[in-house]
Amino acid sequence: MAMLEKSYLVKRSQLIKGIRNFFDAQGVLEVQTSSLIDTPTTDVYIDSIYSEVNTEIGHKTIKYLHTSPELEMKKLVSKGSGDIYQICQVFRDNEHGLNNFNEFTMLEYYRIGFGIHELMDDITNLLFSVGLNEEPKKLSYSQAFNDFVGIDILNINFNQLKNIAISLGLTTDFLWIEDLQMLMFTHLIEPKLKHIPVCFIYDYPKNQSALAKIDGNVASRFEMYINGLEIANGYDEIQDAETYKERFDNENKKRELLSKKKCKIDYEFLSNLQNNLPQCSGVAIGIDRLLSQINQ
Amino acid sequence: MANYSTNQFKNGLKLILDGNPCSIVNNEIVKPGKGQAFNRVKFKDLITGKTLEKTFKSGESLEGADIMELEMQYLYSDGEAWHFMDPSSFEQYALDSVAISDAINYLVEQDNCVITLWNDNPISVTPANHVILEVVDTDPGLKGDTAGTGGKPATLNTGVVIQVPLFISIGERVKVDTRTNEYTGRA
Repeated sequence: MAMLEKSYLVKRSQLIKGIRNFFDAQGVLEVQTSSLIDTPTTDVYIDSIYSEVNTEIGHKTIKYLHTSPELEMKKLVSKGSGDIYQICQVFRDNEHGLNNFNEFTMLEYYRIGFGIHELMDDITNLLFSVGLNEEPKKLSYSQAFNDFVGIDILNINFNQLKNIAISLGLTTDFLWIEDLQMLMFTHLIEPKLKHIPVCFIYDYPKNQSALAKIDGNVASRFEMYINGLEIANGYDEIQDAETYKERFDNENKKRELLSKKKCKIDYEFLSNLQNNLPQCSGVAIGIDRLLSQINQ
Repeated sequence: MANYSTNQFKNGLKLILDGNPCSIVNNEIVKPGKGQAFNRVKFKDLITGKTLEKTFKSGESLEGADIMELEMQYLYSDGEAWHFMDPSSFEQYALDSVAISDAINYLVEQDNCVITLWNDNPISVTPANHVILEVVDTDPGLKGDTAGTGGKPATLNTGVVIQVPLFISIGERVKVDTRTNEYTGRA
């Protein structure tokens, strides 16, 4: 297996060292949060791996492996940590494929005062510093649909989009327009991104906001693709507890409609936000995927 | 035929897509960071030979296609149909020009080919990877040119035109790679 070969280990170690140097030079603090936590992710399409612990000492409880260190790191940001980054293993159930695994390495970082465009610039500098010297292309989500396939994705309704899907012979068996938008993105746009070394897609439709702020009819969110492979996902982060609660509840509502288990909400996180999160942008970068593209 | 769910998809699996039998050429699982998993699948339509790409929601299923590939001997053409024989059962099959398609360039009587059957009906033919054909027409080559630095078109006895080295002349037998339409040597 290539991942056991020394040359791979050396490249991997160099990449992680390069990332640490990049953040050290900018005064971004490295942190480490728990990977075994008390609440699962509510995200409807991400499943936490869990285990019952402490049964033999009479304190039976369920612990969850983190699917991303996002909320734990935001707790630190809300308490005044300033700019932070973390490189850690994360775990997700029901992932299987050439680029999907139950365990993978994630770089997650938060920059106080940054908007998404500043964060995309920062990621570009990070890539330069680890030897990926490609000037990135930036396209808004609506531009990508407009330029590549001539679809006005932000103004088209669910039924109109379904008709396009039918004409392409694709399924329309979705409860929400955002799921069909993602199918169309995967089918029509991603293959075009394979011809672009580094591409940022930003300003997603607002119903794909995840935990990003909404600005007009778009969410201040971006993804980075390298040779068409999704590598990073970043947000201008929501700051107030109330909006977080709405988003978590909404995911749980979706879980219910898809007959998936509802997840308990991280109230500790919400109570940490009584004084709001400072304005910041954060991003998760898949290290194994990044490495696979740097090595090509 | 049984149905196959996306999690059973693998290269070579034969499925019915838009009414035509297709074979999976590539199956890629794509899971957006914030979204459900999809399978982006490349198919080859076994009737038209065209490649097409479809994206499925993970868990969708498609009907399997009853496809069989049999080695058969090409017998003859009567102008409208091309006749083949299964050497184990001696059963004969007639293929029309649509099913024959580009294979017509490489059909040599008595040669073995692979015939693809869908629900027991022949839909396509794949000639052997290499066939030996005779040059029926080509410009005279330059004497002494054996290095094969240049090339020239030559018409072979099936009607196909390929590039051959300059030293090849009419009446010679040449070996051709049927997948690339390339000359591979004198026979």
